[in-house]
Amino acid sequence: METLKEIFDPNFLLRNSVYMSLLVGLACPLVGVYLLLRRLIFMGVALPQVSSCGIAFAFALHAWGVAPHFEGSEHTLAFVGSSLFTLTAILALSILERRGRSMVEGTLGTVYVLAGAWSILLLAKNPYGEHGLLDRLKGEIIAVSNSDLGWTFAAFALVVLASLIFQKEFMLVSFDREMAITLKKNVLFWDTLLFLLMGLTISMAVLSVGPLVTFGFLLLPPLTAHLLASNMRQFILGATAIGGVSALVGFYIAYRWDLPVGPTDVALLGAVYALALSAKRGLALLLKNRA
Amino acid sequence: MEESVLTLGHVAVGYARQAILPDVNLNLRRGSFNGLLGANGSGKSTLIKTILGIIPPLSGRVEFALLDGRSVVLGYVPQRDSLDSIYLLSAFEVVLMGTCGRTRPGGRINLAEKQWAHQCLQETGADQLSRKLFSQLSGGQKQRVLIARALAARPDFLLLDEPTSGIDAAARQAVMELLRRIHTQQQLTILMASHDLPMVRTYVERVIWLHQGNVLQGSVAELLTAEKIEEILDLEMH
Repeated sequence: METLKEIFDPNFLLRNSVYMSLLVGLACPLVGVYLLLRRLIFMGVALPQVSSCGIAFAFALHAWGVAPHFEGSEHTLAFVGSSLFTLTAILALSILERRGRSMVEGTLGTVYVLAGAWSILLLAKNPYGEHGLLDRLKGEIIAVSNSDLGWTFAAFALVVLASLIFQKEFMLVSFDREMAITLKKNVLFWDTLLFLLMGLTISMAVLSVGPLVTFGFLLLPPLTAHLLASNMRQFILGATAIGGVSALVGFYIAYRWDLPVGPTDVALLGAVYALALSAKRGLALLLKNRA
Repeated sequence: MEESVLTLGHVAVGYARQAILPDVNLNLRRGSFNGLLGANGSGKSTLIKTILGIIPPLSGRVEFALLDGRSVVLGYVPQRDSLDSIYLLSAFEVVLMGTCGRTRPGGRINLAEKQWAHQCLQETGADQLSRKLFSQLSGGQKQRVLIARALAARPDFLLLDEPTSGIDAAARQAVMELLRRIHTQQQLTILMASHDLPMVRTYVERVIWLHQGNVLQGSVAELLTAEKIEEILDLEMH
């Protein structure tokens, strides 16, 4: 109880980290829902890795003296690198998705492994960037500045707002693209907008909490919510709620037992998923036996 | 002369520059009930998707007539297996999608449209299914809901891709009776792809038969006589 009070104290030293965890926990499942529905889970694995590669590349430019040095330049560069790499990859992959799923799976695997390899190669030759990026890869959410938090909040607010306003269009083009065409909807526009929102969420999340935690929040809350929900509203709100609550509980556990926050969050999400799966299967078995 | 709703002039239909039907010339009359026959892989679905604008024609022209000075509104019933069961959408939510063509982007679907969606479900005898999950419905029930969704678009021209495939005989007959009633009451133009020859013979007025890349068009009395069928099937066997 004391730890909880401490965490929610406005003067708590790691206050921004708590808020950042909560933001990622709330926003990532919202776009993860569409990755799950469109059966693009692999994209959820590959894109955070691509985003990390973008950050590593930006740090490398900094170290090589190609990019200009100014106050806060590392963070700005990391944001530009992450966004540029993620958005380029997501647009290219969305074009491939329209052509056929089997092609996407192979390409996503290739993108994932190459992005991972290049992240390490770029880090290996960058003594300045190594420390910061390694923290991100591990999912350490400790040093979050007010401006980082502000930008992340603004970006995620945009994503949440757009997801709410255009949910009808996103659902239509995802569920039945052909029907959307017959209704004279601009499917390419709505697909692109949805993928851009995904890209923005992923690049902001990776910048704050790293690829592992981002993927965890993209995938596990929607998977868990899908087990428990009986309609789309419950599914979407449930995924967001599971992500948000797990982020807070995960932070509490990590702070209480001195663990890295990101991996604790993901482990907790895994436990919640396993619990929900067992409960659902147990209930189904019980009902079957009664019948 | 009867008013035509759709004209296809020298249309080549196919994927990736490979024509399945190299030269389609068709003329569908307003208010007619047309069956699109052909063996598996003959290009029925591809032709329907080309008419709907889902697949661009490789060449030629697809022209819809203006009806009372406005563009033709299309209603589409896809093959039900093409819709993923992962979506937790109720039958009502699926039907509501049909009204999206009249709702501005980002706008909420108004009460009148919701009532219209309910009416379409009633029309197809699926109103008791409205709160059930679409993915958990039987084949025949799904087909009724998809027809309701197509009607929710307030179409002038209804295109159906194999609406009776994979469902039991009773459900098949119920779907066809429903289509006949809709056609009679609303005077809709209907194009229905099917490989069920007896069903087509019983319910439709005109037949388009896709046969080895060729398109034969005529009335049921002209095309579905025993001699003509034998002639076509004999040609297919050779």
